[in-house]
Amino acid sequence: MGKRRVAITGLGLVSPFGGDTADFFARLARGESAIRHYTTDDKPRPLSVPAVRCTGFDADAALGKPLAGTMDRFSHLGMAAAFEAWEAAGFARGDKNAGQYDFDAFGVSWGTALGGTLAYERGYRDLWLHGRERLSPLAVVLGMNNAAAAHIAIQLGLGNSCLSYTVACSSAAAAIGEGYRRIRDGEATLMLTGGCDAPLAYGVVRAWENLRVLAPGNAETSYKACRPFSADRAGLVLGEGAAALVLEDWEHAVARGAPILAELAGYGATCDHGHLVKPDAAGQVRAMKLALADAGLAADEIDYVNAHGTATREGDPTEIVALKTLFGERAATLPVSATKSTHGHLMGAAGAIEALVTVLALQHDTLPPTAHLDSIDPDCQGVRHITGAALTGTGARAALSNSFAFGGSNAVLAFRSLRAVR
Amino acid sequence: MQPARPAAHFQSQTLNAMDTLSVIRDFLKDRLGLEHDRITPEATLEQLGIDSLMLLELLFEFEEKLNVSLSNDIATPKTVGELIAIVEQLQTPATA
Repeated sequence: MGKRRVAITGLGLVSPFGGDTADFFARLARGESAIRHYTTDDKPRPLSVPAVRCTGFDADAALGKPLAGTMDRFSHLGMAAAFEAWEAAGFARGDKNAGQYDFDAFGVSWGTALGGTLAYERGYRDLWLHGRERLSPLAVVLGMNNAAAAHIAIQLGLGNSCLSYTVACSSAAAAIGEGYRRIRDGEATLMLTGGCDAPLAYGVVRAWENLRVLAPGNAETSYKACRPFSADRAGLVLGEGAAALVLEDWEHAVARGAPILAELAGYGATCDHGHLVKPDAAGQVRAMKLALADAGLAADEIDYVNAHGTATREGDPTEIVALKTLFGERAATLPVSATKSTHGHLMGAAGAIEALVTVLALQHDTLPPTAHLDSIDPDCQGVRHITGAALTGTGARAALSNSFAFGGSNAVLAFRSLRAVR
Repeated sequence: MQPARPAAHFQSQTLNAMDTLSVIRDFLKDRLGLEHDRITPEATLEQLGIDSLMLLELLFEFEEKLNVSLSNDIATPKTVGELIAIVEQLQTPATA
Protein backbone atom coordinates (compact mmCIF):
# COMPACT_ATOMS: atom_id res chain seq x y z
CA MET A 1 0.00 0.00 0.00
CA GLY A 2 1.38 3.42 -0.93
CA LYS A 3 1.37 6.44 1.29
CA ARG A 4 -2.10 7.57 2.27
CA ARG A 5 -3.23 11.15 1.87
CA VAL A 6 -4.39 12.93 4.97
CA ALA A 7 -7.45 15.15 5.12
CA ILE A 8 -8.34 17.58 7.87
CA THR A 9 -11.99 16.99 8.61
CA GLY A 10 -12.61 18.83 11.85
CA LEU A 11 -11.30 21.72 13.90
CA GLY A 12 -11.95 22.70 17.49
CA LEU A 13 -10.57 25.10 20.04
CA VAL A 14 -11.24 26.81 23.31
CA SER A 15 -11.21 30.41 22.20
CA PRO A 16 -9.73 33.03 24.52
CA PHE A 17 -12.37 35.36 23.08
CA GLY A 18 -15.10 33.06 24.37
CA GLY A 19 -16.81 32.41 21.05
CA ASP A 20 -16.58 29.65 18.47
CA THR A 21 -13.92 28.89 15.88
CA ALA A 22 -15.45 31.20 13.27
CA ASP A 23 -15.56 34.07 15.75
CA PHE A 24 -11.96 33.39 16.79
CA PHE A 25 -10.70 33.49 13.21
CA ALA A 26 -12.71 36.59 12.33
CA ARG A 27 -11.09 38.40 15.26
CA LEU A 28 -7.63 37.21 14.26
CA ALA A 29 -8.23 38.44 10.72
CA ARG A 30 -8.85 41.89 12.18
CA GLY A 31 -5.70 41.70 14.26
CA GLU A 32 -7.72 41.72 17.47
CA SER A 33 -5.77 40.73 20.53
CA ALA A 34 -6.98 38.32 23.22
CA ILE A 35 -4.13 39.36 25.50
CA ARG A 36 -5.17 41.01 28.75
CA HIS A 37 -3.37 42.07 31.89
CA TYR A 38 -3.32 39.32 34.49
CA THR A 39 -2.78 39.88 38.19
CA THR A 40 -2.94 37.56 41.17
CA ASP A 41 -3.09 38.10 44.92
CA ASP A 42 -0.08 35.92 45.68
CA LYS A 43 2.02 37.21 48.54
CA PRO A 44 4.48 38.75 48.89
CA ARG A 45 4.90 39.19 45.15
CA PRO A 46 1.72 38.91 43.08
CA LEU A 47 1.85 38.21 39.36
CA SER A 48 1.29 41.17 37.10
CA VAL A 49 1.84 40.17 33.49
CA PRO A 50 0.18 40.23 30.10
CA ALA A 51 -1.43 36.84 29.49
CA VAL A 52 -4.09 35.02 27.54
CA ARG A 53 -6.73 33.26 29.59
CA CYS A 54 -9.87 31.42 28.60
CA THR A 55 -11.87 33.24 31.26
CA GLY A 56 -15.25 32.37 29.78
CA PHE A 57 -14.55 28.65 29.77
CA ASP A 58 -16.62 26.68 32.29
CA ALA A 59 -15.30 23.12 32.49
CA ASP A 60 -18.33 21.79 34.39
CA ALA A 61 -20.67 23.20 31.76
CA ALA A 62 -18.55 22.08 28.83
CA LEU A 63 -17.76 18.57 29.98
CA GLY A 64 -20.19 17.77 32.76
CA LYS A 65 -19.22 17.86 36.41
CA PRO A 66 -18.38 14.17 36.96
CA LEU A 67 -15.94 14.13 34.06
CA ALA A 68 -14.48 17.56 34.79
CA GLY A 69 -13.87 16.55 38.40
CA THR A 70 -11.22 14.04 37.36
CA MET A 71 -9.17 16.48 35.28
CA ASP A 72 -6.77 19.37 35.69
CA ARG A 73 -7.37 22.53 33.71
CA PHE A 74 -5.09 21.60 30.82
CA SER A 75 -7.17 18.47 30.28
CA HIS A 76 -10.40 20.44 30.56
CA LEU A 77 -9.24 22.70 27.76
CA GLY A 78 -7.96 19.84 25.63
CA MET A 79 -11.06 17.72 26.07
CA ALA A 80 -13.34 20.61 25.10
CA ALA A 81 -11.32 21.36 21.97
CA ALA A 82 -11.24 17.68 21.04
CA PHE A 83 -15.01 17.31 21.47
CA GLU A 84 -15.58 20.32 19.24
CA ALA A 85 -13.29 18.99 16.51
CA TRP A 86 -14.84 15.55 16.78
CA GLU A 87 -18.33 16.92 16.28
CA ALA A 88 -17.20 19.27 13.52
CA ALA A 89 -15.88 16.20 11.70
CA GLY A 90 -19.38 14.79 11.70
CA PHE A 91 -19.16 12.40 14.63
CA ALA A 92 -21.14 12.22 17.84
CA ARG A 93 -19.68 11.27 21.20
CA GLY A 94 -21.40 7.89 21.36
CA ASP A 95 -20.58 6.84 17.81
CA LYS A 96 -18.31 4.01 18.85
CA ASN A 97 -21.33 2.10 20.04
CA ALA A 98 -23.02 2.33 16.65
CA GLY A 99 -20.36 0.07 15.15
CA GLN A 100 -20.29 1.98 11.87
CA TYR A 101 -16.53 2.56 11.87
CA ASP A 102 -13.48 0.68 13.09
CA PHE A 103 -12.64 2.70 16.18
CA ASP A 104 -9.54 0.60 16.75
CA ALA A 105 -8.15 2.39 13.71
CA PHE A 106 -8.84 5.78 15.33
CA GLY A 107 -6.29 7.24 17.74
CA VAL A 108 -5.04 10.28 19.61
CA SER A 109 -1.81 12.18 19.10
CA TRP A 110 -1.59 15.06 21.54
CA GLY A 111 0.85 17.70 22.68
CA THR A 112 1.44 19.44 25.97
CA ALA A 113 4.53 21.09 27.34
CA LEU A 114 3.53 21.49 30.97
CA GLY A 115 0.78 18.94 31.52
CA GLY A 116 -0.89 19.22 34.89
CA THR A 117 1.42 21.86 36.25
CA LEU A 118 -1.49 23.57 38.04
CA ALA A 119 -2.34 20.33 39.86
CA TYR A 120 1.26 19.88 40.89
CA GLU A 121 1.48 23.47 42.08
CA ARG A 122 -1.68 23.06 44.15
CA GLY A 123 -0.09 20.01 45.68
CA TYR A 124 3.13 21.83 46.52
CA ARG A 125 1.17 24.67 48.11
CA ASP A 126 -0.79 22.18 50.18
CA LEU A 127 2.30 20.32 51.32
CA TRP A 128 4.72 23.14 51.97
CA LEU A 129 2.58 26.23 52.41
CA HIS A 130 -0.52 24.88 54.08
CA GLY A 131 1.21 22.22 56.16
CA ARG A 132 -0.78 19.30 54.83
CA GLU A 133 0.85 15.92 54.92
CA ARG A 134 -0.99 14.18 52.13
CA LEU A 135 -2.32 14.83 48.65
CA SER A 136 -5.52 13.78 46.95
CA PRO A 137 -5.41 10.34 45.38
CA LEU A 138 -6.19 12.08 42.11
CA ALA A 139 -2.95 14.07 42.18
CA VAL A 140 -1.13 11.62 39.93
CA VAL A 141 -3.83 11.29 37.30
CA LEU A 142 -4.58 15.02 37.31
CA GLY A 143 -0.96 15.90 36.74
CA MET A 144 0.36 13.31 34.33
CA ASN A 145 1.23 14.73 30.95
CA ASN A 146 -0.78 12.19 28.99
CA ALA A 147 -3.95 12.78 31.01
CA ALA A 148 -5.61 14.89 28.33
CA ALA A 149 -4.88 12.39 25.57
CA ALA A 150 -6.08 9.50 27.71
CA HIS A 151 -9.33 11.22 28.61
CA ILE A 152 -9.98 12.00 24.95
CA ALA A 153 -9.41 8.39 23.92
CA ILE A 154 -11.55 7.06 26.75
CA GLN A 155 -14.46 9.41 26.21
CA LEU A 156 -14.59 8.83 22.46
CA GLY A 157 -13.57 5.17 22.50
CA LEU A 158 -10.54 5.54 20.25
CA GLY A 159 -8.60 2.29 20.27
CA ASN A 160 -5.59 3.00 18.10
CA SER A 161 -2.46 4.57 19.60
CA CYS A 162 -2.88 7.24 22.27
CA LEU A 163 0.36 9.20 22.36
CA SER A 164 1.46 12.39 24.10
CA TYR A 165 4.36 14.52 22.94
CA THR A 166 6.21 16.91 25.20
CA VAL A 167 8.60 18.93 23.09
CA ALA A 168 8.30 22.36 24.70
CA CYS A 169 6.83 24.81 22.19
CA SER A 170 6.81 22.25 19.36
CA SER A 171 4.73 19.74 21.33
CA ALA A 172 1.47 20.03 19.44
CA ALA A 173 3.10 20.44 16.03
CA ALA A 174 5.06 17.25 16.67
CA ALA A 175 1.88 15.52 17.84
CA ILE A 176 0.01 16.57 14.72
CA GLY A 177 2.93 15.55 12.53
CA GLU A 178 3.40 12.18 14.16
CA GLY A 179 -0.35 11.54 14.02
CA TYR A 180 -0.29 12.44 10.35
CA ARG A 181 2.46 9.89 9.80
CA ARG A 182 0.40 7.12 11.35
CA ILE A 183 -2.37 7.74 8.84
CA ARG A 184 -0.01 8.30 5.93
CA ASP A 185 1.71 4.99 6.67
CA GLY A 186 -1.56 3.10 6.98
CA GLU A 187 -1.39 2.45 10.72
CA ALA A 188 -4.52 4.45 11.50
CA THR A 189 -7.44 5.85 9.51
CA LEU A 190 -8.15 8.76 11.84
CA MET A 191 -6.11 10.59 14.47
CA LEU A 192 -7.54 13.19 16.79
CA THR A 193 -4.58 15.54 17.16
CA GLY A 194 -3.81 18.83 18.84
CA GLY A 195 -2.57 20.16 22.11
CA CYS A 196 -3.44 21.91 25.33
CA ASP A 197 -1.64 23.77 28.07
CA ALA A 198 -2.49 25.80 31.13
CA PRO A 199 0.82 27.44 31.97
CA LEU A 200 -0.34 30.29 34.19
CA ALA A 201 0.79 28.65 37.41
CA TYR A 202 2.56 31.03 39.76
CA GLY A 203 5.84 29.13 39.66
CA VAL A 204 5.76 28.72 35.90
CA VAL A 205 5.26 32.42 35.28
CA ARG A 206 8.00 33.28 37.76
CA ALA A 207 10.33 30.84 36.00
CA TRP A 208 9.66 32.38 32.60
CA GLU A 209 10.18 35.87 34.01
CA ASN A 210 13.72 35.04 34.97
CA LEU A 211 14.53 33.83 31.50
CA ARG A 212 13.93 37.50 30.68
CA VAL A 213 11.74 36.68 27.70
CA LEU A 214 8.30 37.71 29.01
CA ALA A 215 6.84 40.90 27.59
CA PRO A 216 5.99 43.57 30.15
CA GLY A 217 2.65 45.32 30.26
CA ASN A 218 -0.01 46.93 32.36
CA ALA A 219 -3.75 47.29 32.32
CA GLU A 220 -3.58 49.77 29.45
CA THR A 221 -0.84 48.25 27.31
CA SER A 222 -1.01 44.50 27.76
CA TYR A 223 -3.27 43.90 24.76
CA LYS A 224 -0.38 44.89 22.48
CA ALA A 225 2.42 43.39 24.57
CA CYS A 226 3.33 40.72 22.02
CA ARG A 227 4.84 42.32 18.91
CA PRO A 228 6.67 39.73 16.79
CA PHE A 229 9.18 41.10 14.25
CA SER A 230 8.68 44.61 15.58
CA ALA A 231 11.67 46.85 16.27
CA ASP A 232 10.32 47.43 19.76
CA ARG A 233 9.32 43.83 20.53
CA ALA A 234 9.83 42.99 24.17
CA GLY A 235 9.11 39.31 24.55
CA LEU A 236 6.47 36.65 24.53
CA VAL A 237 3.10 36.41 26.28
CA LEU A 238 2.08 33.18 27.99
CA GLY A 239 -1.38 31.86 27.24
CA GLU A 240 -3.62 28.97 28.16
CA GLY A 241 -5.73 27.18 25.63
CA ALA A 242 -6.25 24.21 23.38
CA ALA A 243 -6.91 23.38 19.77
CA ALA A 244 -7.66 20.13 17.97
CA LEU A 245 -7.59 18.86 14.40
CA VAL A 246 -9.18 15.67 13.17
CA LEU A 247 -6.81 14.07 10.68
CA GLU A 248 -8.29 11.38 8.49
CA ASP A 249 -7.31 9.06 5.68
CA TRP A 250 -8.51 10.93 2.61
CA GLU A 251 -10.42 8.00 1.13
CA HIS A 252 -12.04 7.26 4.48
CA ALA A 253 -13.16 10.87 4.74
CA VAL A 254 -14.58 10.87 1.23
CA ALA A 255 -16.36 7.57 1.77
CA ARG A 256 -18.23 8.82 4.82
CA GLY A 257 -18.98 12.21 3.29
CA ALA A 258 -16.91 14.11 5.83
CA PRO A 259 -16.21 17.83 5.41
CA ILE A 260 -12.65 18.17 4.08
CA LEU A 261 -11.11 21.52 5.02
CA ALA A 262 -7.58 21.12 3.68
CA GLU A 263 -4.88 18.51 3.21
CA LEU A 264 -2.11 17.99 5.74
CA ALA A 265 0.46 17.24 3.10
CA GLY A 266 3.80 17.13 4.88
CA TYR A 267 5.72 17.20 8.13
CA GLY A 268 9.35 17.87 8.88
CA ALA A 269 11.11 17.42 12.22
CA THR A 270 14.71 18.27 13.01
CA CYS A 271 16.93 19.14 15.94
CA ASP A 272 19.32 22.08 15.98
CA HIS A 273 21.63 20.03 18.23
CA GLY A 274 23.38 23.24 19.17
CA HIS A 275 22.07 25.17 22.14
CA LEU A 276 19.28 24.63 24.63
CA VAL A 277 17.55 27.96 24.07
CA LYS A 278 19.34 29.70 21.19
CA PRO A 279 17.58 28.82 17.92
CA ASP A 280 19.52 27.95 14.80
CA ALA A 281 18.37 28.89 11.31
CA ALA A 282 20.03 25.88 9.70
CA GLY A 283 17.97 23.44 11.75
CA GLN A 284 14.81 25.38 10.94
CA VAL A 285 15.60 25.35 7.21
CA ARG A 286 16.12 21.61 7.32
CA ALA A 287 12.74 21.12 8.99
CA MET A 288 10.95 23.26 6.40
CA LYS A 289 12.71 21.43 3.55
CA LEU A 290 11.71 18.08 4.97
CA ALA A 291 8.09 19.20 5.24
CA LEU A 292 8.10 20.42 1.65
CA ALA A 293 9.71 17.23 0.35
CA ASP A 294 7.26 15.11 2.33
CA ALA A 295 4.39 17.10 0.85
CA GLY A 296 5.73 17.01 -2.69
CA LEU A 297 5.57 20.78 -2.70
CA ALA A 298 8.07 23.17 -4.22
CA ALA A 299 9.03 26.19 -2.15
CA ASP A 300 7.42 28.34 -4.83
CA GLU A 301 4.04 26.78 -4.08
CA ILE A 302 4.03 28.05 -0.49
CA ASP A 303 1.89 31.17 -0.36
CA TYR A 304 1.73 31.73 3.40
CA VAL A 305 3.85 30.99 6.44
CA ASN A 306 2.41 31.07 9.93
CA ALA A 307 5.66 31.84 11.69
CA HIS A 308 6.71 30.61 15.11
CA GLY A 309 7.35 34.32 15.82
CA THR A 310 7.27 34.62 19.59
CA ALA A 311 8.53 38.23 19.75
CA THR A 312 11.80 37.41 21.45
CA ARG A 313 15.01 39.23 20.52
CA GLU A 314 16.78 36.02 19.47
CA GLY A 315 14.00 34.01 17.93
CA ASP A 316 12.39 36.35 15.41
CA PRO A 317 15.47 37.33 13.33
CA THR A 318 16.64 33.71 13.27
CA GLU A 319 13.35 32.58 11.76
CA ILE A 320 13.51 35.35 9.15
CA VAL A 321 17.03 34.24 8.21
CA ALA A 322 15.70 30.70 7.84
CA LEU A 323 12.84 31.85 5.61
CA LYS A 324 15.15 33.93 3.43
CA THR A 325 17.56 31.03 3.15
CA LEU A 326 14.85 28.62 2.05
CA PHE A 327 12.78 30.89 -0.17
CA GLY A 328 15.59 33.02 -1.64
CA GLU A 329 14.46 36.02 -3.65
CA ARG A 330 10.83 34.97 -3.37
CA ALA A 331 10.94 35.55 0.38
CA ALA A 332 10.41 39.25 -0.24
CA THR A 333 6.91 38.57 -1.56
CA LEU A 334 6.07 35.63 0.70
CA PRO A 335 3.22 36.51 3.10
CA VAL A 336 4.27 35.80 6.69
CA SER A 337 2.51 36.44 9.97
CA ALA A 338 2.94 35.56 13.62
CA THR A 339 -0.48 35.17 15.18
CA LYS A 340 0.95 34.83 18.67
CA SER A 341 0.56 38.61 18.63
CA THR A 342 -3.17 37.98 19.12
CA HIS A 343 -3.62 34.61 20.83
CA GLY A 344 -0.38 34.57 22.80
CA HIS A 345 2.06 31.70 23.20
CA LEU A 346 0.14 28.60 24.18
CA MET A 347 3.33 26.66 24.91
CA GLY A 348 2.61 23.01 24.11
CA ALA A 349 -0.64 23.95 22.39
CA ALA A 350 0.94 26.65 20.21
CA GLY A 351 1.48 24.33 17.27
CA ALA A 352 -2.15 23.24 17.42
CA ILE A 353 -3.75 26.66 17.49
CA GLU A 354 -1.41 27.84 14.74
CA ALA A 355 -2.13 24.77 12.62
CA LEU A 356 -5.82 25.55 13.08
CA VAL A 357 -5.22 29.15 12.03
CA THR A 358 -3.24 28.02 8.98
CA VAL A 359 -6.00 25.65 7.87
CA LEU A 360 -8.62 28.38 8.26
CA ALA A 361 -6.37 30.83 6.40
CA LEU A 362 -6.24 28.48 3.41
CA GLN A 363 -9.89 27.52 3.65
CA HIS A 364 -11.12 31.11 3.70
CA ASP A 365 -8.31 32.54 1.57
CA THR A 366 -7.72 34.98 4.39
CA LEU A 367 -4.19 35.35 5.75
CA PRO A 368 -4.30 36.87 9.23
CA PRO A 369 -1.88 39.62 10.19
CA THR A 370 0.83 40.05 12.76
CA ALA A 371 -0.85 42.51 15.10
CA HIS A 372 0.88 45.63 16.42
CA LEU A 373 3.61 45.45 13.80
CA ASP A 374 4.05 49.15 13.09
CA SER A 375 7.80 49.29 12.77
CA ILE A 376 9.57 46.20 11.43
CA ASP A 377 12.95 45.42 12.96
CA PRO A 378 15.63 45.78 10.25
CA ASP A 379 16.86 42.33 11.30
CA CYS A 380 13.40 40.94 10.56
CA GLN A 381 12.94 42.42 7.11
CA GLY A 382 13.05 40.48 3.86
CA VAL A 383 9.64 38.77 3.87
CA ARG A 384 6.19 40.19 3.17
CA HIS A 385 4.93 40.81 6.68
CA ILE A 386 1.14 40.90 6.83
CA THR A 387 0.28 43.93 8.93
CA GLY A 388 -2.90 45.72 9.87
CA ALA A 389 -5.70 43.51 8.54
CA ALA A 390 -5.73 40.14 6.83
CA LEU A 391 -4.66 39.58 3.24
CA THR A 392 -7.67 38.21 1.39
CA GLY A 393 -8.25 36.73 -2.02
CA THR A 394 -4.64 35.80 -2.70
CA GLY A 395 -5.59 32.31 -3.85
CA ALA A 396 -3.05 30.81 -1.48
CA ARG A 397 -2.28 27.25 -2.56
CA ALA A 398 -0.25 25.93 0.33
CA ALA A 399 1.14 27.07 3.64
CA LEU A 400 3.63 26.19 6.34
CA SER A 401 3.15 26.37 10.08
CA ASN A 402 6.44 26.62 11.96
CA SER A 403 7.09 25.53 15.53
CA PHE A 404 10.57 25.88 16.97
CA ALA A 405 11.13 24.77 20.56
CA PHE A 406 13.61 25.21 23.36
CA GLY A 407 15.89 22.25 23.07
CA GLY A 408 16.27 22.93 19.37
CA SER A 409 13.35 20.72 18.35
CA ASN A 410 11.79 22.01 15.15
CA ALA A 411 8.47 20.82 13.75
CA VAL A 412 7.00 22.14 10.51
CA LEU A 413 3.62 21.25 9.05
CA ALA A 414 2.78 21.76 5.36
CA PHE A 415 -0.85 22.24 4.39
CA ARG A 416 -2.37 22.23 0.92
CA SER A 417 -5.50 24.21 0.14
CA LEU A 418 -8.41 22.43 -1.51
CA ARG A 419 -7.88 24.92 -4.33
CA ALA A 420 -4.57 23.24 -5.07
CA VAL A 421 -5.35 19.60 -4.26
CA ARG A 422 -4.29 17.50 -7.19
CA MET B 1 -9.26 -6.27 57.01
CA GLN B 2 -12.49 -7.62 58.52
CA PRO B 3 -15.44 -8.48 56.25
CA ALA B 4 -17.84 -5.60 55.82
CA ARG B 5 -20.93 -5.69 57.99
CA PRO B 6 -24.36 -6.14 56.38
CA ALA B 7 -26.32 -3.07 55.39
CA ALA B 8 -29.03 -3.90 57.88
CA HIS B 9 -26.64 -2.79 60.56
CA PHE B 10 -27.44 0.79 59.65
CA GLN B 11 -31.00 0.53 60.75
CA SER B 12 -29.59 1.42 64.13
CA GLN B 13 -27.93 4.47 62.56
CA THR B 14 -25.18 5.12 64.99
CA LEU B 15 -23.66 8.59 65.11
CA ASN B 16 -20.54 7.33 63.38
CA ALA B 17 -22.50 5.74 60.60
CA MET B 18 -24.40 8.95 60.03
CA ASP B 19 -21.19 10.90 59.89
CA THR B 20 -19.78 8.48 57.38
CA LEU B 21 -22.95 8.54 55.34
CA SER B 22 -22.89 12.33 55.38
CA VAL B 23 -19.35 12.36 54.07
CA ILE B 24 -20.34 10.03 51.24
CA ARG B 25 -23.47 12.02 50.45
CA ASP B 26 -21.69 15.36 50.42
CA PHE B 27 -18.89 13.99 48.29
CA LEU B 28 -21.21 12.44 45.73
CA LYS B 29 -23.38 15.53 45.62
CA ASP B 30 -20.32 17.58 44.80
CA ARG B 31 -18.63 15.20 42.39
CA LEU B 32 -21.56 13.55 40.63
CA GLY B 33 -24.48 15.80 41.45
CA LEU B 34 -26.32 12.93 43.17
CA GLU B 35 -29.10 13.85 45.56
CA HIS B 36 -28.69 12.71 49.14
CA ASP B 37 -31.73 10.44 49.10
CA ARG B 38 -30.15 8.27 46.43
CA ILE B 39 -27.26 7.42 48.72
CA THR B 40 -28.71 4.61 50.81
CA PRO B 41 -26.86 1.77 52.49
CA GLU B 42 -28.35 -0.65 49.98
CA ALA B 43 -27.19 1.30 46.91
CA THR B 44 -24.31 -0.35 45.10
CA LEU B 45 -21.22 1.66 44.28
CA GLU B 46 -21.57 0.59 40.66
CA GLN B 47 -25.13 1.94 40.48
CA LEU B 48 -23.93 5.27 41.82
CA GLY B 49 -21.07 5.49 39.32
CA ILE B 50 -18.29 5.05 41.86
CA ASP B 51 -15.31 3.46 40.13
CA SER B 52 -12.04 2.34 41.72
CA LEU B 53 -10.49 5.79 41.37
CA MET B 54 -13.45 7.52 42.97
CA LEU B 55 -13.40 4.96 45.77
CA LEU B 56 -9.85 6.07 46.52
CA GLU B 57 -11.12 9.65 46.67
CA LEU B 58 -13.80 8.60 49.11
CA LEU B 59 -11.32 6.79 51.34
CA PHE B 60 -9.24 9.97 51.32
CA GLU B 61 -12.33 11.95 52.34
CA PHE B 62 -12.91 9.64 55.28
CA GLU B 63 -9.33 9.98 56.43
CA GLU B 64 -9.49 13.73 56.12
CA LYS B 65 -12.85 14.31 57.73
CA LEU B 66 -13.34 11.43 60.15
CA ASN B 67 -9.81 11.12 61.45
CA VAL B 68 -9.47 7.46 60.59
CA SER B 69 -6.63 5.66 58.90
CA LEU B 70 -7.45 3.09 56.25
CA SER B 71 -4.97 0.43 55.25
CA ASN B 72 -4.06 -0.19 51.62
CA ASP B 73 -5.53 -3.68 51.55
CA ILE B 74 -9.15 -3.16 52.49
CA ALA B 75 -11.70 -5.44 50.86
CA THR B 76 -13.49 -3.72 48.00
CA PRO B 77 -17.01 -2.87 49.19
CA LYS B 78 -19.94 -3.42 46.86
CA THR B 79 -22.52 -1.26 48.58
CA VAL B 80 -22.63 2.00 50.48
CA GLY B 81 -23.47 0.00 53.58
CA GLU B 82 -20.36 -2.11 53.26
CA LEU B 83 -18.27 0.98 52.74
CA ILE B 84 -19.70 2.61 55.85
CA ALA B 85 -19.06 -0.56 57.82
CA ILE B 86 -15.40 -0.46 56.91
CA VAL B 87 -15.07 3.06 58.21
CA GLU B 88 -17.27 2.61 61.24
CA GLN B 89 -15.29 -0.38 62.36
CA LEU B 90 -12.20 1.80 62.51
CA GLN B 91 -14.05 4.34 64.60
CA THR B 92 -15.22 1.78 67.15
CA PRO B 93 -12.85 1.55 70.12
CA ALA B 94 -11.11 -1.76 70.13
CA THR B 95 -12.11 -4.22 72.89
CA ALA B 96 -9.58 -6.20 74.83
